[in-house]
Amino acid sequence: MDFIVAGVAKAIALLTSGDAATWTAVFATLKVSTCSMLLSVGAGLPCGFVLGYFDFKGKKHIRTILDTLLALPTVFIGLAVYAFISRQGPLGDLGLLFTLTGIAIGQTILAFPIVTAITAATIENIDHDLKLTLVSLGAGKRHIIATCLWEVRYGILAAAVMAYGRVLTEVGISMMVGGNIKYHTRTITTAIALETNKGLFADGIALGLVLITIAFIVNLSLSFLRKQ
Amino acid sequence: MTTKEPAYHLNDIRHYYGDTKVLEIDTLKIEESSITGLIGPNGSGKTTLLKLLAFAVKPTRGIILYKGRPEVPFSPAIRSKVTLLTQKPYLLKRTVFENVAYGLKIRKDKNRLEERVKNALLTVGLDFQKFAPRKWHELSGGEAQRVAMAARLILKPEVLLLDEPIASVDTESAGLIRDASLKARENWGATLVIASHDLQWLYSISDRQLSIFNGNIFSTGMENIITGPFEQGDDKIVVKKLDDGQIITLTAPEKKTGIAVIRKKSISIDLEKQADQSFLNQLSGQIASMLLEKKTGHIMATIYIHDLSFVLRLTPGQISSLDLYPGKKVILKFQSTDVEWI
Repeated sequence: MDFIVAGVAKAIALLTSGDAATWTAVFATLKVSTCSMLLSVGAGLPCGFVLGYFDFKGKKHIRTILDTLLALPTVFIGLAVYAFISRQGPLGDLGLLFTLTGIAIGQTILAFPIVTAITAATIENIDHDLKLTLVSLGAGKRHIIATCLWEVRYGILAAAVMAYGRVLTEVGISMMVGGNIKYHTRTITTAIALETNKGLFADGIALGLVLITIAFIVNLSLSFLRKQ
Repeated sequence: MTTKEPAYHLNDIRHYYGDTKVLEIDTLKIEESSITGLIGPNGSGKTTLLKLLAFAVKPTRGIILYKGRPEVPFSPAIRSKVTLLTQKPYLLKRTVFENVAYGLKIRKDKNRLEERVKNALLTVGLDFQKFAPRKWHELSGGEAQRVAMAARLILKPEVLLLDEPIASVDTESAGLIRDASLKARENWGATLVIASHDLQWLYSISDRQLSIFNGNIFSTGMENIITGPFEQGDDKIVVKKLDDGQIITLTAPEKKTGIAVIRKKSISIDLEKQADQSFLNQLSGQIASMLLEKKTGHIMATIYIHDLSFVLRLTPGQISSLDLYPGKKVILKFQSTDVEWI
């Protein structure tokens, strides 16, 4: 029990003293997670809208595939991305292996089905009377789409937050594609894994606290936006 | 001389949900600047008809002429002219001001916006200062209904379609919605079609009533519907036995259909049964309610024959000569041949 208490105390010291290794991992995580979240929202939002709003042939099959992708293990995505961007892979020349960009690509693949599925479900659950109301108020197709999206803005925000939470806490892709290189591609989660393996619980707890704090701030922001 | 086209002319309309036919209208005209009341039980097709009139849905078959021109959903010509207030109004997740101003904003008509929102809210009895900044979830059912009404009135539509506008509002809101509807006609000649279960309210506002049952329109207003089961009698006759022992005898339908319609005009009212049996059907009942048809001065009387409800349109003369009042026991008479099957 003592080592946990000591770990928390050291964690606070590490964070307040501005320990370079700790803060580099924090910034790398924020950078890569924000980037992949934005990319996945950018791609997943329109795809989710199309899937939720329109009826077309094969829609059910796409939903099934999407639901399967939701359960995709991060190590598998890591493996697949690794295979593509490693020197022998088709994208080997781009030099993305062991870079933050490489991790961001993998995390975007992880978050995309989450954003798409939640957006599609949110759009599907739009009150049927909304469309009728908009038509009866004289809205054209463009206005109907824009207003529908605005009406479900909290659902879409929730999708983005969930995607952020997922990429923030994943370890498989960051480890395999990033390589856990100190001061370069080490993220909070890979650092925790490493420090715990080394028996350095304090460092692990410090980084864990940062993760929880980020998650708390993100959810607090969502709650604030909801109130506005 | 050219005759003025009606606001709506529906021709040979059939509408299906899947394989189920929900609306069957051979022809229906709705005159401009009229107020039409739509009466019918739940699931009879009122909402579907209003959606068709709002051009929110295309009929499976048939043509809807709006002022003489065939129109379809999303036609820009019609979009800004016809508006529908649904039974459960949907308010956008914004303030009351934003909700009321939405229709004008999408038309890029922002001229004197605040003043117009203020007037629209005032028409439905809502104070601008108090309600304009409120969020959609800070309103009661009646207030939400009135905000939705204001959002339509501000557009000064040529046609205002109201689906059960007073179903979940208090008496005060019902009166305000009624006054606002009448003002819409007075001020800019709006045509109104209103579906409501509240007959007293509907008769107080409408110039004409249409009744709808199983998707069939009766342009003569409420008619008397008798649903099965019917028992096969002798010689092309079917009978409906009521639990109190009374029997309704009707000419059997040509096809196997189960809903009989007895028109109001075919039924006469008396205080005693006739001995000569010139009417095959002489049914004892009791007057349940009487409503004044404001425009004509006629009285719509609802008479309960055991568990069946009949409606008759009576003249003030009939009322006074028979001394009719709610609760009085009466006899309804009609011939077995006075039946239409739908």
